[in-house]
Amino acid sequence: MVERDPDVESAAATVTDEPSGTGRYMYAVCRGLDAHALDGVEGLGGAPLATVQHDELTAVVSTVMLSEFGEQPLRRHLEDLAWLEPVVSKHDEVVRAISVSAPTAPLRLATICFDDDAVGARLREWYLPLMQALDRVDGRAEWSVKVVVSPRSEGSTDPEKPVLSGADYLRRKKEAAQGRVASESAAQELARSIHEDLSRRAVASRELPAQDARLSGRPGTMVLNAAYLVPDEAAEPFAARIAEIAAGNPELLVDGRGPWPPYSFAMLEQR
Amino acid sequence: MTEEQGQTPTRRPYAGPPVGGRDQPASLADILERILDKGIIIAGDIRVNLLDIELLTIKLRLLIVSVDKAAEMGIDWWRHDPMLSVRERGMEEENRALKERIAELEGGGDEDGTDDSSATDEKSEQTSGRGASSK
Repeated sequence: MVERDPDVESAAATVTDEPSGTGRYMYAVCRGLDAHALDGVEGLGGAPLATVQHDELTAVVSTVMLSEFGEQPLRRHLEDLAWLEPVVSKHDEVVRAISVSAPTAPLRLATICFDDDAVGARLREWYLPLMQALDRVDGRAEWSVKVVVSPRSEGSTDPEKPVLSGADYLRRKKEAAQGRVASESAAQELARSIHEDLSRRAVASRELPAQDARLSGRPGTMVLNAAYLVPDEAAEPFAARIAEIAAGNPELLVDGRGPWPPYSFAMLEQR
Repeated sequence: MTEEQGQTPTRRPYAGPPVGGRDQPASLADILERILDKGIIIAGDIRVNLLDIELLTIKLRLLIVSVDKAAEMGIDWWRHDPMLSVRERGMEEENRALKERIAELEGGGDEDGTDDSSATDEKSEQTSGRGASSK
């Protein structure tokens, strides 16, 4: 299935030598990585992790087969959650291991170069923006806070009562739905004030799309899904504040996690 | 691999217990929405078809934002995915049927549009672009 198209030589040059070779998968770029930070951590497919250095910057990489991570296979695999899940978990595991010991800019999933020279070239080319991104996250970590309203209005219809008719059933469902809407808009407001509260205690914040209950594994409606960039020295009070908020709002499920690698805050300046 | 906590002198306690004492890692959804959408984007030698990546991201976003909404739009890929196979699929169908019925009873449902329409446009655009490029 090798594509050979003489019309697009330059653009397709990368495609033609793809199927049988290997590539270097880049997990993250960091600064001042401890030599033993990656001890005991493996890369994708159990491959050993390696580093590519340019000045102060270190890219953490491992070898992947292009039969799996080449353009065509990737195109298929990225649509396949069963393939994606372990790759995503491994990517995250490696990034975490790096970020424990060094300021870390996680790379987007599936950033792959042919060899270490190409990785080094990327570090050279993006040197300044990468340094700036690392400056922004140095000494800081990402915290995730989600607020979920539990579906308690389900309980307002009495399950003991027999359903008399189809109309009766629908009426009850309607009542439950209306109750849900009212409590949800109140919860939205509450979520807003929680977000403002936490944002004031963070150097940056970012709201992410609310997750569906089936993905998040939590029944109920997610009214806040946010990420906060918190200085390390403020982490403890930040966590304490989340706990306070959770305690003060027993009707909400307040789920705070952290510290995480700064996934939502390590961006390159657009240029 | 978990014993590195406390042994190696770490700058930051990433392996530390999360708030509330639970020691659960980030969920797949948490990580996915971060490493597909966020982080440093540098073009590698392997040019992952960005159209496809974005297609995937849009799918995930739809899933993350609203399963019901996506189903209405006829996007139901996750239903065939064993990982996301729906335990309460029956209930969901029932719920949707009931919601529609309630909307009817209330005299016209006002479905909130949010940005789904733009997502649809993007999707159909990309689907056609992709169809043209493959094979």
